[in-house]
Amino acid sequence: MRRLLALLLLLQALYVGTAQAKRPLLQLVVTQPYIEMRSGPGRGYPVTYVVGRDEVVTVLFSRTDWYKIRASGGQEGWTRRADLAETQMISGEAAPIPPYPDFTTHRWEVGAGYGVFNHENLATAWGDFALTNSLDAELVVQQAFGTIDNRYIATFGLRHTFLPDFKWISPTAGIGFGYQYVQDREPPAPLQKSNQLAYISLGLRGFITRRFMWRADWRKYEVFTNQNQNEEPDEWKVGLAVFF
Amino acid sequence: MESRLSSVLLATVVILSGCSWFHRGEKAPAEVVAEEPQGEPSIVEPQVPRREIKTPKIKARDFEIGGYYGALSIQDFGTNPIYGIRAAYHVTEDIFLEGFLARSKAGTTSLEDVFPDITVVSDSGRHFTYYDLDLGYNVLPGEIFLGRGRAFNSALYATFGLGDVKFANKDQFALNFGAGERLLITDWLAVHLDVRDHVFETDLTGRTKNVHNIEATFGLTAFY
Repeated sequence: MRRLLALLLLLQALYVGTAQAKRPLLQLVVTQPYIEMRSGPGRGYPVTYVVGRDEVVTVLFSRTDWYKIRASGGQEGWTRRADLAETQMISGEAAPIPPYPDFTTHRWEVGAGYGVFNHENLATAWGDFALTNSLDAELVVQQAFGTIDNRYIATFGLRHTFLPDFKWISPTAGIGFGYQYVQDREPPAPLQKSNQLAYISLGLRGFITRRFMWRADWRKYEVFTNQNQNEEPDEWKVGLAVFF
Repeated sequence: MESRLSSVLLATVVILSGCSWFHRGEKAPAEVVAEEPQGEPSIVEPQVPRREIKTPKIKARDFEIGGYYGALSIQDFGTNPIYGIRAAYHVTEDIFLEGFLARSKAGTTSLEDVFPDITVVSDSGRHFTYYDLDLGYNVLPGEIFLGRGRAFNSALYATFGLGDVKFANKDQFALNFGAGERLLITDWLAVHLDVRDHVFETDLTGRTKNVHNIEATFGLTAFY
């Protein structure tokens, strides 16, 4: 409990520290007939104020697709990304509202999912960086819950996406290496607690909506042991990811 | 003599201008007539640094991080305090991803209370630790009114996810689902009330069964 309180205090201190560092705020000129300001960052919140053409608004910060703005009279409210993207800077240039990330050319991807590793439950999470539109470097961390042991597996690999322009479904293939740590649940203890491993994978990926995508993968591992035979487990998994 | 000199000069000018006609398609270099300062140096030397215009960046506050404290009812092992940390990323106005990490300590089963000599779980095994990876959906976003002049943004959300529960020194695959209420005190500070159930399979009390471990917690988070 004390640790938790200390953490909260630290967070608070961090926040105050960043909040007090004065940043210049972006000012934009409304070019459309008017833009609406809502009381909250969501489509259902009521409109509380309307800013007219040629008026200047200050952009405070954003949350998801909504931007908190301040009108010249001091009124504050939330406006949607699409509305703000049509405004202009005071210099006359277009407002620097970043476009929606495009699925085909996205750079980063973070996801998690469920799988089956050697007939055992598997929890998986991954981070992915696109080197090109069709080649990704991926880091995967997962835990397999067996009846006699519990494994932590971390892998790093490359994955190629065939037909990256196919938005809804496109096949992938990958290769990589990693490390596993085996924690004993029931005796006898495993002969080796940690192993190096390598894998090949085949999979599918696709776009869902906005910034969401799905991924399904099959992997065949080669776990290098100090026995006469290597272990060759396989794995199925499905997951949901967000791309940036 | 004078007229001869002037005619030579005139001819040169005509020929040169004729030559320049052939180059009319090219861009003639801008002629700079710079008067060499003779003797007196110029008094004003313009040294105006170029102004750099930086477009201010808009800060995105999509991340939420904080802690929570409450009560966890561990099936067969009584209700005990629980504390944890949580971090969320808000993807859209409706959907967010959230991770939890928490710890509690189990009490004794009724069997152990009645027969103090029996121990179902060793003392070190009574720690109940979990991590969860969840997907959340803001089912009922809205506002909560306090008196006449105050309104707080809020959302009732549902979460579903998977993770690990470590209990009795064993890791179990666990599913969790629940609902919570998020109340934003300011734009960056939120209060949470959550109820979640962690379900996993165990044979700890003799036969294999699914156990439900329901927690009710109070949380405090900051958006950044």
